[in-house]
Amino acid sequence: MKKTFKFYISLWGAKIVAGMLKILRKNASFLPGKVAITMCKNFLGIIEKPEIIIGVTGTNGKTTVCNMIIDALEKCGYTTINNRLGSNVDAGIASSLINGATFLGKTKKQVAVLEIDERSSIKIYPYVKPTYIVCTNIFRDSIKRNAHTDFIIDIINSAIPKESKLILNADDLICCSIGPENKEKVYFGIDKLETDVEETNNIIRDIRTCPICDTKLKYEYMRYHHIGKAYCPKCSFKSPEADYLGTNIDYKNSTIQIKTKNNITEYKLISDNIINIYNMVAVIAVLTEFGIEAQKLKEIFDEFKIVETRYSEEEVNGKKIIMHLAKGQNAIACSRTFDYIKNAEGKKAVMLNLDDYFDAKESTEDIAWIYDTDYELLNDDSIEQIIVGGVRSKDHYLRLLIAGVPEQKISYELKEIDAVDHLNIKKVDKIFILYDVYTVEMANKVKTKIEEKIKQS
Amino acid sequence: MKVEVLFPELCNLYGDTQNMKYFKLCLPQAEFIETALDEEPTFVKEDVNFIYLGSMKERTQEKVIKKLLPYKERIKELIDKNTIFLFTGNALEVLEKYIQKDDGTKIEALGIFNSYAKREMFNRYHGLLLGETQGIDIIGFQANFSFSYGENEGQNFLNLKKGIGFNKEKNIEGIRKNNFIGTYLIGPFLILNPIFTKYIMNLMGIENPELKYEKAIMDAYETKLAEFKNPKIK
Ligand SMILES: [Zn+2]
Repeated sequence: MKKTFKFYISLWGAKIVAGMLKILRKNASFLPGKVAITMCKNFLGIIEKPEIIIGVTGTNGKTTVCNMIIDALEKCGYTTINNRLGSNVDAGIASSLINGATFLGKTKKQVAVLEIDERSSIKIYPYVKPTYIVCTNIFRDSIKRNAHTDFIIDIINSAIPKESKLILNADDLICCSIGPENKEKVYFGIDKLETDVEETNNIIRDIRTCPICDTKLKYEYMRYHHIGKAYCPKCSFKSPEADYLGTNIDYKNSTIQIKTKNNITEYKLISDNIINIYNMVAVIAVLTEFGIEAQKLKEIFDEFKIVETRYSEEEVNGKKIIMHLAKGQNAIACSRTFDYIKNAEGKKAVMLNLDDYFDAKESTEDIAWIYDTDYELLNDDSIEQIIVGGVRSKDHYLRLLIAGVPEQKISYELKEIDAVDHLNIKKVDKIFILYDVYTVEMANKVKTKIEEKIKQS
Repeated sequence: MKVEVLFPELCNLYGDTQNMKYFKLCLPQAEFIETALDEEPTFVKEDVNFIYLGSMKERTQEKVIKKLLPYKERIKELIDKNTIFLFTGNALEVLEKYIQKDDGTKIEALGIFNSYAKREMFNRYHGLLLGETQGIDIIGFQANFSFSYGENEGQNFLNLKKGIGFNKEKNIEGIRKNNFIGTYLIGPFLILNPIFTKYIMNLMGIENPELKYEKAIMDAYETKLAEFKNPKIK
């Protein structure tokens, strides 16, 4: 698109706003883009973009995948524009492009790596046409904002550029329904695991019947929720074969093999969490498509440490305190976290602090999501205590009872910090503190109080 | 006693399925039948005491309408016979006249009720609701792409005290005809409303019904009800 006078004015205006925000040490990842788009509607289309654009979308794992792609590309000597520090809606992407552009709107970088919010697809894809689009997975998310998976898929499909090469999760049939008209698609997946089952008990399984003939799908194996390898017993519909297949995962030696049509390469496993292993395989798929050799990728992954912003662990007098972000109002993220806790070694206590920060302040939170969440996973012999804190604690308490957790294992308090008083340190080896994105400060206070409690005991 | 849960493999959004999981805990003697979309519903050939249908995706609504259309007269007969129905979220739209889509086209529905639904996929509403029926305070949440309009006089489920309900113009919510109860409220409706759950158990002929985890469920209800009644909370 041709650069107009209006475009330059908005670009300069946005750059001035960004400069001012920087002086004030405020976050400049949203407002400059917002200013530019408000002043010039097709700003995103006009501003020059790097030749290669990698878009990352999907319900969970976007940030982790973006971070790995950016780090890997920079290790290979590429310069990138990215929105890793900011917003993933249109204004955030505009802000990143403004930051990476000269005063004449020319791009200064070689590759753009953009995290793209699914619901913002319509505002982004008409102007920004990624060379590659990775979709990590599509799950049920916030009831309020995301409704259900059909809604999200319809939004993405109404806008996704047909020329983009799609990198999709073969084990996620909903994700595979993205871009029906896109010609170029490659798939990543993870081979059958020992822990896979024939039927999962997860409450949410958003695709259960064949999209062609409505027959109940069968699975070669199921992993969790709707993730697994499916086929229709009546027609020819089935999960696609993975072009990048993670296989022979060896947790003991921390290795994974990635099988492609041409070769098998062994990589260092960056995490023992299956969610992150999916993220890793997705990154290998997109970077291989981008043109980085397997050997070089292997070297990069050897040095990789996954930056776990969602997970931190420390030890006090032999007891482990684990902070785990659980993304409240997101039934899948919480169910996966509960599953992780259930499978963690040792005797455990769980501090559940999942209230929505904003609703707790000014409204009553819609707790429907906790009935979509597998609290049943917390009903396990290895979990000795579950302590709920927050204004909605009575609801979580009831949910735990309905999940079959014995009454004597559960306590609750309306204030998160008071809930720590119920913790019986002697009974457990590990204490998990679950918290939401906006309640880090509170979670840290809970942690400090637990540390003191351990030291005193 | 028989409870039929319709199409739980598809009609299970927003935690709605837990209504029946909890109901089962309260009714350990009852037989719960889960009917899939490719099976014939049990109610077609025999009487059941309670029929449940939960929230579904919009495309699923069309499948469910197609499935239930041949049983329209039977459903009418069951409603006339005072069979208890609970339809939550957008399930009630299946029995209305039609669902009007964004582009103005209409999906003909069963037409058992005279109202119709208007869907706007880019205008999602989410909010809390406080209403009343039979002297019982009902609380819950709505999450809609659609509202209902048209003739519904005297057939509303709730009188509204807070929230939107059926549509923005009228102070009513849901459909009640005999023991058919349809509500736009989503999620764990029965769990949020223990007194009403007891009322339904009464309707089923259970004297002095007992709720599972009664103390905890009443405590949660009373706490939330007080919040809902607080004029500051919207
Ligand atoms: Zn089929």
